[in-house]
Parts: sequence; C-alpha cells; structure tokens
Amino acid sequence: MIADFRHRRAGLVGLAFLVLTAVAALAAPLFISAEDLSAVFAPGVPRQAPSGHFLLGTDAYGRSMVAVTIWGARISLTVGLLATLLAVGIGALVGVAAGHFGGWVDTVLMRVTDWFLVLPVLVLATALASVLTPGVGTVVIAIGVTAWPTAARVVRAQTLSVESRPYIERAKALGGGHWHVMRRHILPNVMPLMLAQATLTVSAAILTEATLAFLGLSDPTKVSWGTTLQLARAVGAVSAGDWWILLPPGAAIIAVALAFTLVGRALEQVLNPRLQERM
Amino acid sequence: MSITVSAHPGSGDAAAVPPPSGAASVRRRGPVIPLRYAAGRVAGALVSMLAVVVTGFFLFRVVPGDPVRALTRGRAVDAAQLAALRHQFGIDKPLIAQFGDYTARVVRGDLGTSYQYKTSVSSLIGSHVWATVYLVGTATLIAAFLGLRIGVRSAWKHGSRADRANSGIALVLWSMPTFWLALILIVVFGVGFGPIPGMFPTGGMSSPNVHGFFPSVWDHFRHLVLPCVTLIAVLYAQYLLTMRATLLEEVGADYLTTARAKGLREDDVRRRHAVPNAMLPAVTLVFLNLGTAVSGSILAETVFSWPGLGSLFYEALTVPDQPLLEGLFIFFAAAVVVINLLAELLYPILDPRVRTS
Amino acid sequence: MPLPLPRRRALALAAALAGAAVLSAPAAAAAAPSGKTLTVATTGSVDSLSPFLAQRALPTDIHRLMYDFLTNYDAADDHAIGGLAGSWTTSADKLTWTFTVRDGVKWSDGQPVTADDVAWTYNLMMTNTNAATANGTFVANFAKVTATGNQLVITLKQPQSTMLALDVPIVPKHIWAAHVADIGKFNNDAQFPVVGDGPFILTGYQKDQYLTLDANPNYWRGKPGFDHLVFKFYKDADAEVEALKKGEVDFVSGLTPAQYESLKGQSDIVTNDAPSKRFYALAINPGATTTTGQAFGNGSPALRNQKFRQALLYAVDTKTLVAKTLGGYGVAGAGYIPPAFATYHWSPDPSTAYTYNPDKANQLLDTAGFKKGSNGMRTMPDGKPLTLRLLGETNRPDDTQNAAFVSDYLKAVGIATTTSVVDQGKLSDTETAGTFDLGFDSWQVNPDPDYVLSLRKCDGRPSKPGGTLNGDDFICDQNYDALYAKQISEYDPATRASDVKQMEQALYTDAYINVLYYPDVLEAYRSDVIGSWEKQPQPNGVYWGQDGYWSFWSAKPAAASASSSKSSSSSSDTGLIAGIVIAVVVVVGGGGLVLARRRRTASAEERE
Repeated sequence: MIADFRHRRAGLVGLAFLVLTAVAALAAPLFISAEDLSAVFAPGVPRQAPSGHFLLGTDAYGRSMVAVTIWGARISLTVGLLATLLAVGIGALVGVAAGHFGGWVDTVLMRVTDWFLVLPVLVLATALASVLTPGVGTVVIAIGVTAWPTAARVVRAQTLSVESRPYIERAKALGGGHWHVMRRHILPNVMPLMLAQATLTVSAAILTEATLAFLGLSDPTKVSWGTTLQLARAVGAVSAGDWWILLPPGAAIIAVALAFTLVGRALEQVLNPRLQERM
Repeated sequence: MSITVSAHPGSGDAAAVPPPSGAASVRRRGPVIPLRYAAGRVAGALVSMLAVVVTGFFLFRVVPGDPVRALTRGRAVDAAQLAALRHQFGIDKPLIAQFGDYTARVVRGDLGTSYQYKTSVSSLIGSHVWATVYLVGTATLIAAFLGLRIGVRSAWKHGSRADRANSGIALVLWSMPTFWLALILIVVFGVGFGPIPGMFPTGGMSSPNVHGFFPSVWDHFRHLVLPCVTLIAVLYAQYLLTMRATLLEEVGADYLTTARAKGLREDDVRRRHAVPNAMLPAVTLVFLNLGTAVSGSILAETVFSWPGLGSLFYEALTVPDQPLLEGLFIFFAAAVVVINLLAELLYPILDPRVRTS
Repeated sequence: MPLPLPRRRALALAAALAGAAVLSAPAAAAAAPSGKTLTVATTGSVDSLSPFLAQRALPTDIHRLMYDFLTNYDAADDHAIGGLAGSWTTSADKLTWTFTVRDGVKWSDGQPVTADDVAWTYNLMMTNTNAATANGTFVANFAKVTATGNQLVITLKQPQSTMLALDVPIVPKHIWAAHVADIGKFNNDAQFPVVGDGPFILTGYQKDQYLTLDANPNYWRGKPGFDHLVFKFYKDADAEVEALKKGEVDFVSGLTPAQYESLKGQSDIVTNDAPSKRFYALAINPGATTTTGQAFGNGSPALRNQKFRQALLYAVDTKTLVAKTLGGYGVAGAGYIPPAFATYHWSPDPSTAYTYNPDKANQLLDTAGFKKGSNGMRTMPDGKPLTLRLLGETNRPDDTQNAAFVSDYLKAVGIATTTSVVDQGKLSDTETAGTFDLGFDSWQVNPDPDYVLSLRKCDGRPSKPGGTLNGDDFICDQNYDALYAKQISEYDPATRASDVKQMEQALYTDAYINVLYYPDVLEAYRSDVIGSWEKQPQPNGVYWGQDGYWSFWSAKPAAASASSSKSSSSSSDTGLIAGIVIAVVVVVGGGGLVLARRRRTASAEERE
C-alpha cells in the first residue's frame, strides 16, 4: 500500500514536471526572440561562464544557455512524441492483428516482432537516418520504425486476454466482422495500456533523438538538446571545461526522460492491478 | 516422538515440500534438450539470419552517396579510373546481380572489401572484435552481478529506504544518455575536476610503450575503467529493475509461504527458493539486452577511442563506407541472433518448465 | 552475511581511496625501452600505409617521414629545395628534366638508394592503374622516365612548371618489386620495420591504437633528435586535449578556439597559432553544365546574375565569421591562395572588395530586379519565390556554425535559405547532381598552387549530366583556362606568380567561389618533452601539416625531460607495486568471503 502510494506520488511529480516543461516549451516564443536564438545577432559573447546576466552562461554562438535549453525542449519533445505516435501506432496495428487473428498471422507477425526486438536499435536507426535525408523528420521515422516491437508485444498480450472475454464471443456470434470487433471491442480495451506503453516509449525516443543528433545524423541547424551537446563537443567545450554548456541539456534530457518513465510506471500500476504490488 | 521433531524445525521434512521447480530438481533429471524444441529454435534462428542478410543488402544499397565519388573526393581521377573502381567494387552491375553476388559471398563468410581501408571487412571485424568482446563482456559481467544482486535485495525489502534509493538511482541511470555520461566521466575522472585528480587515461585501450607483463596488465586495466563504467551504468539499471520486478512476482507465491511456515530462515527462503525461480527471466534479459550493449558500446567506444567494432562503425558512418557498414550490421545482428539461440537452447537445461511449453 | 555491513563499507572505501591514489600516478605508465619518445595525438585515420594507395592526410604525412621525395620545400619559406635529388637541369624545349640523385644515401636495410628506384616508382605509377591511385596525377604528363647511373631523366608531353613539386614517396625497388601483382591490395603493413630512407623508420602499427616510428640513425640530412616517434589515435579531439594536459601525448594539432584557449597559459604547455595553408569558401552553383555545355541540375537561376552573386558577398560579414566561428583565430578571406603563400597570394583593391555592406547588397538586389515582398523577403524578378539551398558537411564543424551565420545574414537582406548539413557521400552526390545553390568548400593549398587552380577549369565539369565531377564545381571561364595554360608552361617564377594572381582576380570578379576566411592552425605541445623544433614557414608557421618533415626531424628533447621521465617511471613503479598489493588484498579478501559463505551455506544445508 505504501509502495503503491509512493509510486503514484512519483508519477504525479513526474506529470507535474512534464506539464511545466510542456508549458515552457509552448510559451517559449513569447519570451525568447529570434535574436536570442540567432547565431549572428546572439546577445552574448561565445562560451561565457554563468553570470548575473546569463544565469547559465552562453553557448558557442553567444546565446543564453537558458534560452537554448528551453527552446531545445520544443524539438526534443516534438520528436519524442511524434516518434512515439509512430512506434505505438505500428505496435498497436501489429499487436492487435496478431492477437485477434491468431494462427499463422500471429506466428509471422510475432516472428518479425521478435526479430526487430533483438536488432541493435542504434545500428538500425543510424542506418535508416543515413539512408534518408537528414533532418528532424528522418529522426522521427528512424526512432518510430525501431521502437515499435515492445508496444506490439504488450498490445498482443492484452488483446489475447480481451479476446477470451465472453462479450467478444457474443459480438462474434452476432456477426461482428473482424474490423468491427477490433475497432469497437478490442481497441478500447487495449487503449489504456497502450497509453502507459507510449509514455515509456517517449522516454526512450528522447534519448535516441539526443544520441542520433550526437552522432551527427540529425539537423544540426535546429536547436535541440542533442544538437546543443553535439555543438558543444564540436567546438571543444568538453576539454575547455565549459560545464555550463554540457550540464543543462544533459540534465534536461535526464529529467524529462525520468519524468516520462515515472508517469508511465504509475499509469501501468493504475491500469494493471496485478502490477501494483510489484512496482 | 512428535515433540522431538518439532524441536528441530525443518530437519527432515524439507524434501516433502519441494519448490515447484528450481536448481535442485533440475539436477536430478539431468540436462536433456528435447529434439523438436531445439530444431524449432534453430530453424527460427536460420530464418532470422536470412532476414538479416536480406535487410543488410537492401538497407545499405539504397544509401545515397556514390562511394567511388566519396572515396576519390579531393583528387583528380579520370573517368576511366572511376569506371575501373566501380567495376572493382562490382557496383556497375544491376541490383539483382549484385544481390546474387552478395548472397553467395556472405554465405562463404566474405563480407566484401572496405572502401576506405581496402582490406576485407571480415578481417577488419576479426581484428576489432576482441576489443569489443573484452569491453562489453567485462561490463556485462559486472553489471549483471551487481544489478541482479542488488535487484534481489531491493525486491526482498521492497519499500524500504535502501530499495527506494536503489530503484531511484537505477531509474536515473536508465534516463541518462550514454554519450553524455561518457563525456562527463572524461571531464571528471579523466581530466580531474575540483578536488578529484585525473586518474584514468582519456582514451584508447593501451599505451604503446609499456613493456613487461604486470605493467601491461595494469595499463590495460587503467584504460578499461572509464568505458567500462559507462557501459555498466547503461546495463546495470536494466538488470536491477527487471530482477526486482520478477522477484516481486514470486514474493507472494504460495510455495514461499510454505517454506516459511516450515521454519526456514528468511535468507534461505530467498536464496534457495525465490531467487532460482526469478533468475531465469533475469538471465534471459541479460542475453536479450545484447542489442543494448552493442548500442552502448558504439557510443562508449567512440567517445573513449576504444579500438573495437563500435568505433569502426562510427568511422564507417562518416564516409559512408557501405561494405563495412553492411558487414557490421550483419555481424551485430547475427551475434545477437546466435546468442539468443544459445540462450534458448540452454533454457530446458536450466528450467524444465520450458520443455513442456 | 559474512561481514557486518559497516565494516565492509569501510573496507571498500579504503580500497577505493588506495586505488585512486595509485591511479593518479603520472600516466606515462612505463618508460620506453630506451631513448626519447615524442608522442603525437591524432584524430586522423590510416586508409593504407602503401604510398601508392594512401589518400588520407595522416598516412600521406607519415610517408614524408618514411620515404624521401625527389625534392623538398624549404622550412623557412616553402621554396623548392633538393631532396633525394641534389640538383637538376631542364632542356631548352622545357620538355626534358634531368635530376641528379644524391650519392651515398642508403635504404634502412643497407641497400643504396639509386636513380633506378625513382624511375621504377614513377614508371609503376605510369603503367599500373592501381599504383596510380594516390599520386597518379603527378605522372600524368610524363612521356618517359629513365635512369642512367645517378641521373634520372623525365621526358614530358607538355611543359610543366610543377616539376619541383612532385610529392611522390620513392620506394625501394628491391622490396616492392615483389608486390607489383597485388599493388592495389598491398597495404605495406605486413612486415615491420618497413624499409625506407626517410628520417624515421616505421616500426609498428596497431589500427586505431598507435603507430610507431624509430629515428633513422643514418639519415643523410642528420639523425632526428628524438629516438622514437609515436602517433596515438583518438576518435575525439577533446580526448586529445585531455591527453596532452596529462602528458599522455606531447603534441596536438587542429585545436578548436575553445580548446586552444583552455590550454593557453597552462604550465609546461606551449601553444602555437599559425596562419594556415587552407582557405574556407562559399561556392555558388553557376548552373551545372557538362563539358559540352549541356545544362542539368536545378541550381537557382538567380545565381547566374553576377550582381546577385556580388550582393550575396556584400551581405555576409566575413570579419564576424572569423570572430565567432574561429574565435578570432583566422583572417577574413579575399584571394583564392592563402596569404601564407606570399608569392602567389592576391588581395583585391579595397575599392572593389566585397566588404560587408548590407545597404550595398540591398541596392544591388533592388536594381537587379529581386524585389522585396510584403513579408520582407525577396522574389525572383519574374515574381517566382526565391529560396537558396545551403549545403554543408557533417564532418566539418565550421559548416554548421557558418550555415547559421550565412542564413541569418542573407535573411537580413531578404534572401531566404534552407540548410542541409550532410555526410561526405551525400554531399558529393548533391554536388555531382548540381542540385544545390550554395555550398561550403575548403581546400588545403600546396606550396605549388597548381592543383587548387586546376579545380576551377572548364574541363573539371562532367562529360555527361550527373557524371563524375573532376574539378570541384561547374565554373567555366575561357579567360581563366587560358591563364591556367599559360602558367603551367611558364618556368620563370615571377611571371608565373603574376599569371596566378590574374587567375585569382578572375575568380574574385566572377564571384562563383568566394573565400570567406583562412582559418589559423591551432596547436599545442608539451615544453617539458619537446625542447625546440622548427616551424614551416618561419617565423609564423605550423608544426603539423608541413610540406616536409622539418618539425619532427628537428625536434630536440627538452633538457629537463631526462629527470622528469625518470621520476615518472619510478612513481609508476610505486603505482604498480601498490596495484599488485591491492590486487592481492582483493583476491585474498574475496577468497575469504567465498570461504566464509561456503561455510555458512554448508551449515544451512545441515540444518535443513
């Protein structure tokens, strides 16, 4: 019981943090001007240590690290969410189809899923990112295409348990087609768990985005946490000891990824009572 | 006399309440891998390998970027020389013919010739694979040891302060970008930060001018620490969380209550009954996570200049060196498939329940 | 549990502290076998160690150390001086060059170096396509090469003013004759030491780890000051800098301004800021055409307007690029050949120079008919939208930064841009297809400027649409080509220099290739290891990337390094001993734990 409450509390803290981050990201254009993010017209001197004027110092262009970190949330969150949408979409499609149809469809789909599950994600994602034209869209696709198998497994398991319920039998007996059963009966039941799974996927997607950007496979002209770190490394901020350029994007990635994980775990508990005692 | 018996709790009747499965019962039956099960797994792995080979070809064949042009960039080459190079690499043929050549080659174990190093991809992989095995192997062993152990403790005392601290740390590590951790480790322990002296080399696997056995061992150890810690951090969190979750599922199980009822000490209940049952899914995870280890290794090797497959991959990415990327993709994927197959073949030996399923 | 928790913690803490103390011992772990070692950090990679195949910068520079070339470049001012050849003459018709090969020079296996070795090397490159992979262009104009005694006679097809700039490593015939059959695959890394005649002898190579060379005691110009030269490979420039700070390496080049500034003023480290031999430019797509004039690709038609191109240059403040991207370590660009080569450098008259002037840019664009729309962005004269595609390369960090700057500057005068920064493969595809508008471009210039000049000739264009680009872009200017033909057959240095300057002026006026800046080379070395060494050119030159081997050949160990290397080796012994002690403690302790545990387990079993 205590553990239960504690984890929900952690989930609530995570959720509150995410809401704050989202609000900051959405409202960013209101208090961060184009000049603040412009390379040429940046307000500060490049790589300035934190001071009263620039609370977190400036980056390699002389932009305030506060502005850059807040603005970075926009791309990082967008990529994270879009990639998750894609991954969970594919995962749901595959999972529901496998669970509902069973038989050879299930065998083939799960074989494919398992195969994707064991592939080194980063290798596949980098390969995809280098095949397509570099940019934010490519990163979304690369992550989406590699992150769906876990979702597919979870959804299939849930579909199987829903399929065994009596009302599905009834719906089938009443002449409901596959499409009808899947859409009206299975999907609504699978949805909540998919949400929990999606929340966990966002955290992984944000990490992958940063990693791909670090390897130079994203669009370096867009301000994201990953590209900020890549730029910091490219200009040699690491050995110069410019910790104020390295820490904020890294801390932001950790905080947001952690928040998504906490919310996802809390959601899982609420939705799946069997999990309650083990989380 | 009944009184005497109850005075020696658990002395004779332990065998009467055997755990539902576990190490003891397995040993008695002996290792038998059912043939049908094994054949099924091997066939599955073969299909996976085929899929890997096909994907490898088409994925990297559509990579834009004329490799010959990229290779000869920055120097004058005439059209005839370029045509000769294209012919030499076999990329002047139609795609289907290339696929035929490719499949025949891969089956023979020939992964082609690297564009940038002009040596066979197989030999490049051969000369780099041990550095990666050394790094990933050490990290996996340590991470598994620590993660599984602490996971057991956390689960057993779930809700305690220690559990909360351990799970919290694991979740933070889990949310941490690998490359970022590597950079921070270099700044703090490679260079020294504040009162912390720079203790470890910032890159490489060994120093060139070290001679003698002990100095070499010491030199290798010093180089191993930082990249290894980076990888451990990646893997540890996963192992801990999974071990904890699987063990928690067992915690409420009836047979444990029975074991306790017959008076077994809590430590023994845990070690002899609960843990063996939770161990299998956890060990499965260690194998399944090889993919994560490979990804982590690409980043750790890149940042720490570790001369393994990961940095080879990163270097191939920048050209892009198509045959090398293709070869590494096949190798990484095949390694995971093969190790998973081994794990699946070992299950029935470890856990007889698998045989019936 | 075998040990109560607090006690175990204390033990672990003690072990950790002891370990930290041991590990912080100087990193120069064990002393080299004997003699002084100079360790160089590099992020470069070796594609091949065969002089016939290697194209990357690092192995090419290492070949300079391993093999002597026919001629060399003076350390002070880059003028051509003797190498393997002590002297040379030319015939009246400019077609025959006779070189006299130095007497008494020996390969490291004791065999004499002869004119025949040189002739054999050149002839192999002339007759074998694989052998021509790396340096084929140098012999492309050779009709015949023969050797008689110590005389090497080269007969040319056309006069060629670059005959003292043949940067071809000469290999020993008696060793390489055996490798002719597989010259396209032989990487010269099978057997060490590699027989050579340069100031250093290659003794070992571990891919991605290190490459070791030993001083050649019999080198004809004199034995190098260091006994061993080691190149250590890093994937990451930051790691190189850390290694330098800790003394793991003694020299790092190619620093970023941030790294350079972090090293400035550190004890025992000397920094060097040298004007480089490189230009960094913005190339404008003139509209892709083939050598027969057939147009292809989709470069913006706006770029065919000279006023528009010049407006682009007036709109960009190159001084800010130098200040921000280069942190001030560089010189704003003008002529095509960098100022480091005083003989050939040309700079425009200030009245015609494209100095930053947004008003002038706006005015030029207005008069050329590129009107601003209601949103402040300009359109084509016919009202069609105007957006330029800016192309950069992932591996060149400058590109990402400058793309941000250039697009901001162009936006300020009403020109919209989209940026893509891609890998080398994709970059060359896009260039070949002619589907870009603006692209960043950077070349290292040799003491003889012929090669970079040849890149802008009409015949550099592909022979068919999308075919191989032999040059660097699609520029074609008959006047420029005529000047090129004139300078290549001009044997009088002053006249040739004046021709070259005229070519630079033509490029500048056309404004298709616009030099933004010449970035400085930023380097640092440990003064407690290297006492003194030569720059090229002097006094403000580089140590790394020289045309020649002057820095490594002339480097003298620091006087104090004898004592410091001694102390470091003794402290590493202490470290070693402490390490062994700890290892023993851990093993014994661990064994104890296992034993204790065994006993407990056994008793538990008995109880059951």
